[in-house]
Amino acid sequence: MGNETPVVMCRNVGRVYDIDSIPVNALRSVDLIVESGEFVSLAGPSGSGKSTLLNLIGALDRPSSGEVIVDGVALATLDETQLADLRLNKIGFVFQAYNLIPVLSARENVEFIMQLQGVPSGERRERSLEVLASLGMAELADRRPGQMSGGQQQRVAVARAIVTRPALLLADEPSANLDSETTKGLLELLRRVNVERGVTIVTATHDPMVMSYARRRVQLLDGRIASDQRVAAETA
Amino acid sequence: MPLKLLLQLSWRNLWRHRRRNLILFTAILVAIAACVLLGSLIRGMQVDMMKDAVENLSGNLKVLAPGYREDPSIEKAFPLRDGYRPDIPDDEMVGWTRRVRVPAVVTSERETRGISLVGIDLGEERAISFLAQVTIRGEALADENDDRILLGAELAARLDTDVGRRVVIMTQGADGRNREAGFRVAGLYDAPGTALEKAYAFTGLHPLQKLLGTNDVTEVSIRLRDDRFSAAANSSLMKEMSGLEVLNWRQLDPQAAAFYEIADVGITIWYVILLLALAFGLINSLITAVLERVREFGMLRALGMRPRAVVVQVVIESVLIVGFALAGGIAVGIALVGLFAEGIDLSNYAAGAELAGMRSRLVPHLVARDVLLLSGLAVALAVLASAYPAWRAVRIKPLDALRR
Repeated sequence: MGNETPVVMCRNVGRVYDIDSIPVNALRSVDLIVESGEFVSLAGPSGSGKSTLLNLIGALDRPSSGEVIVDGVALATLDETQLADLRLNKIGFVFQAYNLIPVLSARENVEFIMQLQGVPSGERRERSLEVLASLGMAELADRRPGQMSGGQQQRVAVARAIVTRPALLLADEPSANLDSETTKGLLELLRRVNVERGVTIVTATHDPMVMSYARRRVQLLDGRIASDQRVAAETA
Repeated sequence: MPLKLLLQLSWRNLWRHRRRNLILFTAILVAIAACVLLGSLIRGMQVDMMKDAVENLSGNLKVLAPGYREDPSIEKAFPLRDGYRPDIPDDEMVGWTRRVRVPAVVTSERETRGISLVGIDLGEERAISFLAQVTIRGEALADENDDRILLGAELAARLDTDVGRRVVIMTQGADGRNREAGFRVAGLYDAPGTALEKAYAFTGLHPLQKLLGTNDVTEVSIRLRDDRFSAAANSSLMKEMSGLEVLNWRQLDPQAAAFYEIADVGITIWYVILLLALAFGLINSLITAVLERVREFGMLRALGMRPRAVVVQVVIESVLIVGFALAGGIAVGIALVGLFAEGIDLSNYAAGAELAGMRSRLVPHLVARDVLLLSGLAVALAVLASAYPAWRAVRIKPLDALRR
């Protein structure tokens, strides 16, 4: 880890939102480095800035000040198309509300990003089925999101996020719409992805169960990092 | 650009709102079918106009002496050598004829009328002019030596004369003196409409030449198999008829030519107006589809879909729905043209139709070029109508959309 380029570098990052002409500091001078292979949870109460930080790392938003570097690329230098390419090629997303494409089957959803990347169809199909099978979803490959439970949809979303072997997997409140049993299954899955595939994971959550699976817990409060602890994951 | 993926997404998105898209599809289909049918009817009218203009003694081309059109007298006649035949290939020419046409006054026992008296060879004439289609009560002229007269039924009614009776013709001879002769009415022709019947009376070419004191003719008229042969035939005639004018039907009948041109423009205008009306429905439907999927578009962008791909996806959705409606509309339109292949009977409006240069039966005439024009305009409409919805879609910020 030590000599590798960090997957995420945030230097003095601030984000100010203009709400009804009143500036609101969502993030203040945040410095954060995430090394390759880490499983980090950004925790904190609502309004602490964890989702804002996750969005900045995910190139979905631009900081008001400071610098965000992902896998060695300074995001401030990129235009919209280049940011889209960076998200496509380096980052996997797992959203709170699954966000699968409703008109595509589970397999097609998993193949989607590979299609955008121009991966040949044979390889796409092979990799998507392999990932779905590894997540225990092989039998649901032809089902559309509307025909699956929330937990199943979230597993497909994870499959979509990891199938391209991204440098970074970002999960925003991944357990928000899941019951505890399904959440546990999902977290086991993320842990496997982190350990077995070496995928760097950053989650934003206020769910203690999600935090318990992370090996590094970054606590945010009022837009600042209040604590940053590396721990042995409790359930590991 | 992953076109296959975008095509797949767009196609499946069309089926998400079947009822709405079916209504839109049907509206476009009906409009396209109407365009095909009405375009064909306008073309049919145009074909009739040209045919009438050509058959009303004009021909596709006519050779005249300079000044004859302004002053159509026998003084403007020209000689035609024995055995003359226009130097136009047989496979381009239906036929040709020579005529002597002079202004004359025809007098019956009761009435007098001004007419154009035409000396013809009915055999030649029947190959190229409206005389091929007229019905004749009484007898037709036997040949170019027949010294009887063939009157229009309407003219005969106005003169209060009939078959077998005699009329007197008065006109100016080649020497400038008035000539007068009696002609027995061989028959009365019944042409489409009454304008021709009132205007023209026919007799044999040689008796009229004899009456006028000349062996010359005033015109040579040529009917071509297709008007596109006109330019080549024209230059050929110009060479062999030096000193004479060679005019095409458009120059001879400017009014019909103007109607013909208007019909060309009219079809395009009609297509554009109808498709523009449809564009608003299409834009509305596409905007609704975009606004319903703000979160989805945001997610696609978040996952790495380029802004340009979002634009293309919306455009493809528009092109797909218009494309399928276009294909269906053309098929229905062609079927309707087939249904009306025998023509639409306008005999109840014959007088008005005649004024508009139409025949009493309007037969649709499908032109492939028009269908191609319609297709091109419809596809352009699909792309243009999707521009604003696509712009709305591409302006969606991933983060804002995902927060919804």
